[in-house]
Amino acid sequence: METSNLTNKDNEILSLANNLRWDLGVNFHDTVIESIYEDASRIAQRTVAQEGDPAKHFDLKIDRIVTSRWLGFPIMFLLLALVFWLTVSGANYPSGLLADLFIGKLYPLLKQFAANIGTPAWLSGVLIDGAYLAVAWVVSVMLPPMAIFFPLFTLLEDFGYLPRVAFNMDSLFRKAGAHGKQALTLSMGFGCNAAGVIATRVIDSPRERLIAIITNNFSLCNGRWPTQILIATIFIGGAVPSYLAGIVSAGAVVGIAVLGIGFSLAVSWGLSKSILRGEASAFSLELPPYRPPRIWQTLYTSLIDRTIFVLWRAIVFALPAGILIWVVANVHIHGISIAEHFIDWSNPFAVIFGLNGVILLAYIIAIPANEIVIPTVLMLTVLQTGMSGVGAGAGVMFDTASIQGTEEILRAGGWTLLTGINLMLFSLLHNPCSTTIYTIFKETHSWKWTLVSTFLPIVLGLIVCFFTTQIWLLITS
Amino acid sequence: MVEITYIGWITGPALSLLLGFGVLMVLAGIFWPKYGLIALSRKSNLNKQRVWLEDALKFLFDCEYKKTACNLNSIAGNLHISTDKTARLLNRLRTMGLITMEDEANLQLTDAGRSYALRIIRVHRIWERYLADETGIDQMDWHGEADLQEHQLSPSAANQLAARMGNPVFDPHGDPIPTIEGAMPVHRGQPLSSLEEGTVAQIVHLEDEPYTIYEQLVALGLYPGMQVYVMDKTDGKITFAADGEECILTTLFAASITVETIQSKEKIREKLDLLSSLAIGESAEIAGLSPNMRGQQRRRLMDLGFVPGTAIRAELYSASGDPVGYRILGTTVGIRKQQADLIFIKRIKNEAS
Repeated sequence: METSNLTNKDNEILSLANNLRWDLGVNFHDTVIESIYEDASRIAQRTVAQEGDPAKHFDLKIDRIVTSRWLGFPIMFLLLALVFWLTVSGANYPSGLLADLFIGKLYPLLKQFAANIGTPAWLSGVLIDGAYLAVAWVVSVMLPPMAIFFPLFTLLEDFGYLPRVAFNMDSLFRKAGAHGKQALTLSMGFGCNAAGVIATRVIDSPRERLIAIITNNFSLCNGRWPTQILIATIFIGGAVPSYLAGIVSAGAVVGIAVLGIGFSLAVSWGLSKSILRGEASAFSLELPPYRPPRIWQTLYTSLIDRTIFVLWRAIVFALPAGILIWVVANVHIHGISIAEHFIDWSNPFAVIFGLNGVILLAYIIAIPANEIVIPTVLMLTVLQTGMSGVGAGAGVMFDTASIQGTEEILRAGGWTLLTGINLMLFSLLHNPCSTTIYTIFKETHSWKWTLVSTFLPIVLGLIVCFFTTQIWLLITS
Repeated sequence: MVEITYIGWITGPALSLLLGFGVLMVLAGIFWPKYGLIALSRKSNLNKQRVWLEDALKFLFDCEYKKTACNLNSIAGNLHISTDKTARLLNRLRTMGLITMEDEANLQLTDAGRSYALRIIRVHRIWERYLADETGIDQMDWHGEADLQEHQLSPSAANQLAARMGNPVFDPHGDPIPTIEGAMPVHRGQPLSSLEEGTVAQIVHLEDEPYTIYEQLVALGLYPGMQVYVMDKTDGKITFAADGEECILTTLFAASITVETIQSKEKIREKLDLLSSLAIGESAEIAGLSPNMRGQQRRRLMDLGFVPGTAIRAELYSASGDPVGYRILGTTVGIRKQQADLIFIKRIKNEAS
């Protein structure tokens, strides 16, 4: 026991102290703390002279508008929609440039160089087709949206507007057992789930923070928007008359994002009522004064702290995954590749959920980033169907030049409207990317919560896909 | 082309939907909180014999401590087991040298039995303290959780936990926590039901068993540390003011509240307003935090300056009406109604100033 090195005398004193504490009664601790605070505030009142607070009046005027019953929510939706629109529309062009540079120009040069110095085919396959291509892909699709989204978001934060969003949204999140600040981490998750998970540091209540971390994956991140848009355009837009195609497929993508928010709230509620019931919880929300945003500082910190940080983690994971993708498509056992073995083996299981073996394998090996799921799906489909004239070879991810090209490959792979819908659902409801999983582990220091955050969305995704598929088949049969 | 083929035993979507629901039900049955297999197996993992043995010792100690009568029937009732089983249990306790038993009405703990009981009680009360201060477990569930934990947590683990919490001396119901050596203060106080009209006293303890009575006491918002003033006592009912709030209880229920009369001429506490009653633009002074505001939440608010004497003003509603922003010590802090209901204020009389 810890007390063994104490003398009898010490123990006597300790037990005497204990007896005296019993006599002090239950309120003793509070009384001490309160009297300390009272003393401190009395001293402060006597010695600190406070002059008028000119900024406060101005603050209150802004607050009355942005938290008003009628204008509060519209202003919030407009600002957030503006941020997303700027991100999506602004990222296209630089993404194209980067892809052109890394994949269009540098990649053939590297291949050429490797061939010239006599590198064996398997080595240049592993290093260039696998590792290099995965990293190049991740950088070119991830960097531009993040470099736009994070600074914009940080500017709103720096100005002092975001705490007001949390203030307005709190009543909704309170009903889900969560913290109002989860509205912020959820929005951040639309940019990148890993960054959203890091952003949960602003939630200082342990239970609500865990809820925000586990449910962040339900925010449709930057890496998944292009997948959603592509699949919605091909399959949902393709299923309605062409004059409605644009609006219906856009509606479907927004519907998926809203469904994600719905899942986020529902799962938050479920968690707070079940496994997180006992975690400690405390609420308070400071509304700091408004101040002019410090633009350069914001740019610098959001680029270094958020963009580069997340990008680096993504690269670290993309490298081995790229190698893995190449290996499963190129190493043959009994005459066919590992990838085909897996696809054939998992197909009967996957069709129950309205998916196929290619999709399952793609989601497993493209775990580093959602951005490389579609290139992997295309590569695997070509590999599996043995199509000729498309793609860049086994294990080499590629993107088609046109949506029609992608559609041809997917339809050749047996995709239907139902597969498209299920892919959209599964893209929303599946495990977070490895960068996010690693970030969750870093933030929670807990295997338990990391595993829960990883597998809960997969289970939900499989359940949702299963019922969608079977009900669909029941209706159409 | 991938063929849509099914594994042999699934023949159509209707059947697979049924199977899907079946799988969901099985999963729910396993994982459902409180009633699922996992939750139930946690409870049934306990060794029943040991639980009965320890519970009986606890009950015997409680009788000895409160100097109340204790016999085979009352033990059987407390443990919810038959008198036959209780008799066998008591025999076992005697052969283990934990009790002496001259006849069924005269049961005494031996020194070994008493120290065993105190070890269990210590773990139970430390765990209740832990649940109250460090977790978000509902007040009504503390006792049940601690009843499970007292048979599982080792004394040394409990000691470590106590040390981490600064060696608390009372559990959240106001019961003293025995020391490692097994020391306990002399039982003090008397039941609220025994007070005369006009007496002023302080609540020192709320009995957390039986559940229904405790539930009622919690619903009235009673807690240790409250000042009570007995206003009326007639027809088996007692009317009293608890920190200014009028409550009526039957004598049976009031017996679950232990009070200590206050000798000194402490002024009678008046009913305080709640922060949630403050309208936008109104100012007040914080009068205190309810003891039902615990742990982290209490510390957080105290850090922000929610201590007696601080001036506070309700400043703005959020777009949905809750939380409300309050101006305190030069900052604006959003507080939910749920919390504002646990903060007492004194209104400042001269609004004009």
